[in-house]
Amino acid sequence: MLLFLVKRLVTMLVTAICLTIVVFALTNLPPNLEKIAKSEIGTRISDAEVTSWLDKNGFGAPLLVRYGEWLGLLPGWTRTDENGVVYGRCIREGEDPATAPIRCGVLQGEWGYSRVFRQEVADVIARGLGLTGKLMFWVLLVMVPGALLTGVLAGMREGSRTDRALSTASIVATATPEYVSGVVFIAVFTSSAVGLKWFNGSATSAMDDATLVNFTLPVLTVALYAMGYVARMTRASMAEVMTAQYIRTARLKGVSFPKIVLRHALRNALIAPFTVIMLQIPWLLNGVVIVETLFNYKGFGWTLVQAAGNNDIDLLLGVSVVSVIVVLLTQLISDVGYVFLNPRIRLA
Amino acid sequence: MTLHTTALRAVHPAALLYAEEAKAGLLSRREFLTRATALGVASATAYGLIGLPSPANAQDATTPVQGGTLRMNMETRATKDPRTWDWSEIANFGRGWLDYMVEYEPDGSLRPMLLESWEANEDATEWTLKVRQGVKWNNGDDFTAEDVVNNIRRWCDGTVEGNSMAARFGGLMDAATSQMREDAVEIVDPATIRLKLSEPDIAVVVNMADYPAAVVHQSYDNGDPAANPIGTGAFLPETNEVGVKQVLVRNPDHTWWGTAVYGGPYLDRIEYIDYGTDPAAVLAAAESGEVDATYQTTGDFIDIYDGLGWVKSEAVTATTLAVRFNQSQPPYDNVEVRKALQMAVDNNVVLELGYNNLGVVAENHHVCPIHPEYAELPPPVVDPAGAKAALEAAGQADTEFELISLDDSFQAATCDAVAAQIRDAGINIKRTVLPGSTFWNDWLNYPFSATQWVMRPLGVQVLNLAYKSGVAWNETAFANPEFDAALAQANSISDADQRREVMATLEKIMQDQGVLIQPYWQSLYRHTTAQVHGAEQHPIYEHHHYKWWKEAAS
Repeated sequence: MLLFLVKRLVTMLVTAICLTIVVFALTNLPPNLEKIAKSEIGTRISDAEVTSWLDKNGFGAPLLVRYGEWLGLLPGWTRTDENGVVYGRCIREGEDPATAPIRCGVLQGEWGYSRVFRQEVADVIARGLGLTGKLMFWVLLVMVPGALLTGVLAGMREGSRTDRALSTASIVATATPEYVSGVVFIAVFTSSAVGLKWFNGSATSAMDDATLVNFTLPVLTVALYAMGYVARMTRASMAEVMTAQYIRTARLKGVSFPKIVLRHALRNALIAPFTVIMLQIPWLLNGVVIVETLFNYKGFGWTLVQAAGNNDIDLLLGVSVVSVIVVLLTQLISDVGYVFLNPRIRLA
Repeated sequence: MTLHTTALRAVHPAALLYAEEAKAGLLSRREFLTRATALGVASATAYGLIGLPSPANAQDATTPVQGGTLRMNMETRATKDPRTWDWSEIANFGRGWLDYMVEYEPDGSLRPMLLESWEANEDATEWTLKVRQGVKWNNGDDFTAEDVVNNIRRWCDGTVEGNSMAARFGGLMDAATSQMREDAVEIVDPATIRLKLSEPDIAVVVNMADYPAAVVHQSYDNGDPAANPIGTGAFLPETNEVGVKQVLVRNPDHTWWGTAVYGGPYLDRIEYIDYGTDPAAVLAAAESGEVDATYQTTGDFIDIYDGLGWVKSEAVTATTLAVRFNQSQPPYDNVEVRKALQMAVDNNVVLELGYNNLGVVAENHHVCPIHPEYAELPPPVVDPAGAKAALEAAGQADTEFELISLDDSFQAATCDAVAAQIRDAGINIKRTVLPGSTFWNDWLNYPFSATQWVMRPLGVQVLNLAYKSGVAWNETAFANPEFDAALAQANSISDADQRREVMATLEKIMQDQGVLIQPYWQSLYRHTTAQVHGAEQHPIYEHHHYKWWKEAAS
């Protein structure tokens, strides 16, 4: 078990390093750097000004050296300006260069500075994760009971009318991506064009104060997509359990149907959905990117879009690392949890 | 002679043109009133121009209400050194706590702010500025003549990367050091400053109204101005989250000088909320009641907001889309090619297809009828057959031209309309649409592309910024000694009527040299809820917060 955990942590580390190298290389392509210079000192500047700015701000060094600086393995760059003042990556404004740390990277807990948001990367990501956490909490609260109930009801009596109806509904939900369902919801429930106007088509105000009116649609959009998939899995698992020999035995013994479902079938049928739900969380992050952008809800997904759209190197790297951790951590929980739910499985 | 009194003196010439059209039935009475009053004609006068008595207007009787919060959508961009500001949005947040020397009004006049008045000599080489007395910074310091000089010195520092103000004060600068000439600015007495220019410049004071000219305190360290917001303005920044939200709150511990002079400010709180660049997201916010006013309403959305019962305000502007050639790049180095392409395009059609007729047709010389010195020339000739023939004569009949534009809806549509007409004339042309992130990397150097130019108050100003030989923003690579000489001459005539004669020459050179296809002048629109007052759209997107007020919710 311990060895398994260690292995998983090493995988996480290696994945994070690989991913950040790729992201680092892509965001540091020369045209992207030029873009940064232009967003820093104005869109309408000459090439000479760009080069001078890039060199003055430490973008002149080779790629791997700068990656090392970001990791905190190599000392941060320093420059001396025309007035003889020493400045550099690790020297904060007004700090004495002599006392400033030599290295300042992820290893030292410095995630860098977001050029788009003009804040520490750690703060931007914390804000995003907080808001997305709120969204995900409500999504899971709607999705998990909804999906399990639908799946169990459908799988209980395979082939019945309830099963057909619920299965169709869940297939439709899974087959509709968020960028379709979200737009349809906005068009139907919020605009004056249709006239229903039940909910808000923008979730910006939900960041401070979430209400039924401004938060329903984003939550529903993310939840519905995952709900269909999880419901399908639950149904399959439930249907399989219902054909098992011990269920038949219980029926023959005269146990009532509700009792069979609740006491004998449910626990065994829920093993598969548990894994699926855990594995669904990284997929939900996907939906969060779309929904947060669509509804202008400024969480983690929206931050990712902004970071990528504006080539915000430090922020994009931070977002990548956090994403890797979220994905691999949920997989780890799902694997470990599976062992506890099903004693026949053992982790080597 | 003072500029602001000149501008207020007479009825705007464009308003008289509108009046003629209204009487001839070409313009509805309502349309005429909107346009004429937007040009600064008092509504009573406007009614008089079309021979109607002025109705007793109930709306005028509403007096401003104190207090309240106004929420507007706006891209909230990172604050930085004011002189390097390159977006009006940055300035609109900064305006909360930073005032300007003078303010450009929607009607084209200048309102004295931190300067009380100004005067120029005969050839506009010497200016006398009067500093407003009794103004306090919000840290308790007095606003003095030294503060004015400090700001002029900052503007003149050409060594600061991205300082666009330096290009506007060439007459005060030492070309060798790119700094202010110390002998060019003289403090005569604590309330008077004299500027001695090395060359005539009629736009010195007007330039001080431009959005990067926010007036900062002497202790300002060129960093983030919102971090330590010392200013003379009435508000203070409360929240400054780039891409999310910027909030201004009224500064309770500061007596704003303008309250006694112009009244206001009325609002307690102004919230700018960022909804990105998608107008549909803003509409969703408006329908959800998350905003009270739009930053700008464009294209098809104008009708939608009208349908929601929001109040529309229109600003007639000299903002335009310049579909320009870069003359340093073949085949556009040949004037015949440029003129041929120009000749193939009917600007009326471009206005209709590319901009839904929400503007006024332009004449390919980048001087607008609302500029005080506009000179009327015969309209450009449209002749598609002639265009094809001219290209053949130039040996470019089979060339495939390429027109590059931003992916922005109206810019792309306008270029599509231009390209379609060129294609109709039998000329090969390809359209390329680039996203903003790519487009702006190289906007100065595309051989044939479109750039939006925001209006400047005087006709000579854009010519100075964009078409004078060798200036930083000269995207056409236009270098014409005759044009430069005439422009220098126009720059020395501070009287608009006299300047008009030189202007006619300049406009003619622009047309004859085929510098650009300039299809139309855009009008700008804003929608607000019925409760919002005083926040009408401004021709250069300026937000004059002190004029804004909001009825209490009923």
